[in-house]
Amino acid sequence: MAFPRELYKALEDIVGKENISENIGVCETYRCVPSQSSAHYGPTKNWTPRPQAVILPGSAEEVQNIVKICNKYGVEFKASTTFWSTMGYIGGDFALQIDLRRMKSIKIDAKNMHAVVEPYAIAATVQAEAMKVGLNLNIPGVGCSSSTLANFSTWVAFGPNSISMGYGNENVLGMEWVLPDGEIVRTGSLASDDGWFCGEGPGPSLRGIFRGAFGAAGSAGVCTKIAVRLHPWPGPADFPTYGLAPAYKADWGPNFKCYTLCFPDWKSWARSIQYFYESDIAYSGHRQFNMFGRNLKGAMIEIISNHERQLTDLEELVNDPYIKEQTEKMRHDYQVVIAGFTPKDMEYKEKAVDYILEQTGGWKSEMMLEKDKHDYALLYLTRLGHKNLNYVMCGAYEGVLGLTGNVWKAIEVADEATALKRKWETEHTSIAATGGDSAMGCLSGLGGGGTTGWEFFTNFDSYDKNSVEGTYAFVETTQALMNKYAFGPDFCRWNSDVRKMNGYNYTQEEQNEMFKKAAQPWVFIYQYKIREAINPKNLCGSYVRTLDPKALEE
Amino acid sequence: MALQDYRAMMERCSNCAGCKFIPFDKVKSLRFAENCPSIGYYNFMTYSARGRFQLSQSLLDGRAELDDTITNAIHACTSCGYCDIGCKITRYNLEPLEHNIEQKAYAVENGKVLEGQKPVIENLKKEHSMIPGTKKANRTDWAKDLGLKDVFKDKADVCFFAGCKYSYDPKLQKVAQNAVKLLQSAGVDVGYLGAADNCCAGRAHQMGFFADFKDRANANIKAFETAGVTTIVTPCSDCYHAFKRQYPKLGSNVKVLHIVEYIDQLIQEGKIKFTKTVPMTVTYHDPCHLGRLGEPYVPWDGKEKKIFNQIQIWEPRRPRYNGIYGIYDAPRNILNAIPGVTLVEMERIREYSWCCGAGAACNESNPEFSAWTAGERVTEAKATGADALVTACPWCKDNFVNAVDENGNKMEVLDIIELVQQAI
Repeated sequence: MAFPRELYKALEDIVGKENISENIGVCETYRCVPSQSSAHYGPTKNWTPRPQAVILPGSAEEVQNIVKICNKYGVEFKASTTFWSTMGYIGGDFALQIDLRRMKSIKIDAKNMHAVVEPYAIAATVQAEAMKVGLNLNIPGVGCSSSTLANFSTWVAFGPNSISMGYGNENVLGMEWVLPDGEIVRTGSLASDDGWFCGEGPGPSLRGIFRGAFGAAGSAGVCTKIAVRLHPWPGPADFPTYGLAPAYKADWGPNFKCYTLCFPDWKSWARSIQYFYESDIAYSGHRQFNMFGRNLKGAMIEIISNHERQLTDLEELVNDPYIKEQTEKMRHDYQVVIAGFTPKDMEYKEKAVDYILEQTGGWKSEMMLEKDKHDYALLYLTRLGHKNLNYVMCGAYEGVLGLTGNVWKAIEVADEATALKRKWETEHTSIAATGGDSAMGCLSGLGGGGTTGWEFFTNFDSYDKNSVEGTYAFVETTQALMNKYAFGPDFCRWNSDVRKMNGYNYTQEEQNEMFKKAAQPWVFIYQYKIREAINPKNLCGSYVRTLDPKALEE
Repeated sequence: MALQDYRAMMERCSNCAGCKFIPFDKVKSLRFAENCPSIGYYNFMTYSARGRFQLSQSLLDGRAELDDTITNAIHACTSCGYCDIGCKITRYNLEPLEHNIEQKAYAVENGKVLEGQKPVIENLKKEHSMIPGTKKANRTDWAKDLGLKDVFKDKADVCFFAGCKYSYDPKLQKVAQNAVKLLQSAGVDVGYLGAADNCCAGRAHQMGFFADFKDRANANIKAFETAGVTTIVTPCSDCYHAFKRQYPKLGSNVKVLHIVEYIDQLIQEGKIKFTKTVPMTVTYHDPCHLGRLGEPYVPWDGKEKKIFNQIQIWEPRRPRYNGIYGIYDAPRNILNAIPGVTLVEMERIREYSWCCGAGAACNESNPEFSAWTAGERVTEAKATGADALVTACPWCKDNFVNAVDENGNKMEVLDIIELVQQAI
């Protein structure tokens, strides 16, 4: 249903003619097929609905006025930044897509070690500005191409640096938040006019309501500014790189090392990670290149770190005796970046790494110590500028077998999960056959250590109907294993109870049916009450799981 | 290829934002991190390579139509090709630039062109020049009194091809004349096509006017063959790209050099010697069609194949244009060789250089967008502290000369030949 003229005019008056469009072709480009952009939805060929208009506000005040108009006319709205994830798109027919592209300022407060950023400031730019003053930020696993504000305020935000810098919830210091009813709330110390320095006040925190552990995925109004904690960066201020595209590399001298550490089995692997938790010596820690799969990772590393290589070389490289041997040695592996703040500090950390290897029977991958591979991996993990290699093999992937939890718990499942995926790879052709184990993720999602964040990359072709459908069938099978080990909903299902397969929002009635059967329905009733308080007209989609208490009474 | 042939790419685009930013590894500031002029100016997703993939699906499926807004969105792309480089940092099987141009051709086939494009194409058809108002009869006026051989009458080692902009723009004709004199004084046996001199029509290709491009290109290829031309030297980056990347697809075997390659070579051979100091700090703008789009054409005929169930590869190995083999070092070698000149670099250089805004005739069809794009570059150039912005393309120079930075200030803009001339 098209917007009434007075509604469109009211929106146009806020941002000006050039920053709003209801052209069908323009609005069509603000739709997505979840199998193209994934982010844990599960493969589907359905498009999200077309918004009735797209609007590009330039300030928090404009956002506030837009939201007020939406409330007045009962228009669903959703704000997004880079639009990488399905969760950023609207899910109804009478809906306005808010594109926050025009809001991208970054203010660095070096003294108080934080950055105040607007929505479209992607992590690469925040990091570049922070590094100029010797600081850095946690770039979540999604990579530096994504919005820092979106990651930190509305989603999980753990990644390679989380082990030393913490995840999203640990890094948000203050927010400027346009509530779904149009009121602007400022949280933490900001709310008491003391600036952005502290998320816990003086002033109301509200962090739990706004983002909780996993974030409301853009369904609780619009966050227009946040302060994120910055962390010490001992590297060069201008981020020098070398090499030819696409295989850029970095050599920042002897105080930076990127090791691929390998272990004989999962137990020694887990023990080594525990040592890293205890020793606090890792700047970054990630099982990164295993996303290409246990059998292919050596060959893929050769391809992506060499500007002359292509996927066409993959079969030849997989069968290369040296690469084969090196790949085999990296069966149980992960990458760490060790950064020395002084030569002495580096010396200590190097010794500590060697001690951990000695204690666990581990070794450093020789192939990954070759200068070109080392320098490629160092740059990769520090900037996370190549994260979209996630898609390089097939054009789409889904994360399954999400082993997020205690590292010892995760390895209990690792072999069984590997066997399950490998079986599917050999018995079906719908997913890429990469060797079963394609688990990737951070050493710790929490600052200081404590919980892994693994997912098994399942690569499929979004252009191939059989591949999409076959992958869907595969992800149906992974949940049984997750249930067996009490890991909860699999990654590919994280968002399947908040948006329907056809791309539309769930109605309250549909959510009631789902959540009244939940083990702890009161959680969803609590969320319902919060939503009623801040979003009485329920205008932001169904990514906040809610249960009407009346439904439970029935 | 037709637009439908890009369907797999449309559906495999993962919306990673690589087409909108310089390679993420190269980001050094917020200010100069983005690298798609089209979405930079118009802001809607529609104007990015990602949006264009989405739009094509909607057009082919009949959900969207070629109305005025969409026609403008399709053509408001300078075909600068950065999206292609950014995409290929992490993807090996998408061709955003080819798709963008094919989308333009789809609009053209359906009669959807912009008003500002019409005089450009009409002039190409009628007067064989892509500058509206210029006449074929005056095309070689700039070459009078230079003693250039007509290659149809006398053989020459190299054929100088000035291109439309140097041929007609009174401010730039002198640069072309100096370029010829420079070659002559270095002992180069140089000629030109005389009355057969013509537009390369490379810009018509960038605009999606494929039939008009082919008409001119085939005529030129025939002229080269008839005159026995084996080597072309051109000071125009658009012509360079057309001859280097597009003409071989139509059967051309002529060797092509940009003037900066030739001058660099002559300096190294000691045939050009600088005698004067030019005390100046300059920054160099890599023209898109000399840099990332200046890579040599590699023929390929193959198909997609899947290995390991679903991994997509090309069989046989397909050339992958990453922009890295464009012409970047030659102009820098020249600048570094000029006594007194200090070269300082901008943040967006080489394969991830920012566009001047004149590509695909956007200076004619979308002048405000084009001027904004040029202004962005002038702002970046000024940020280096340079006294002048140097380039090696007349379209870039012209767009920069008329542009102002974000504070409304102009900057001195030089063709690299002008700087070389100052030192001799």
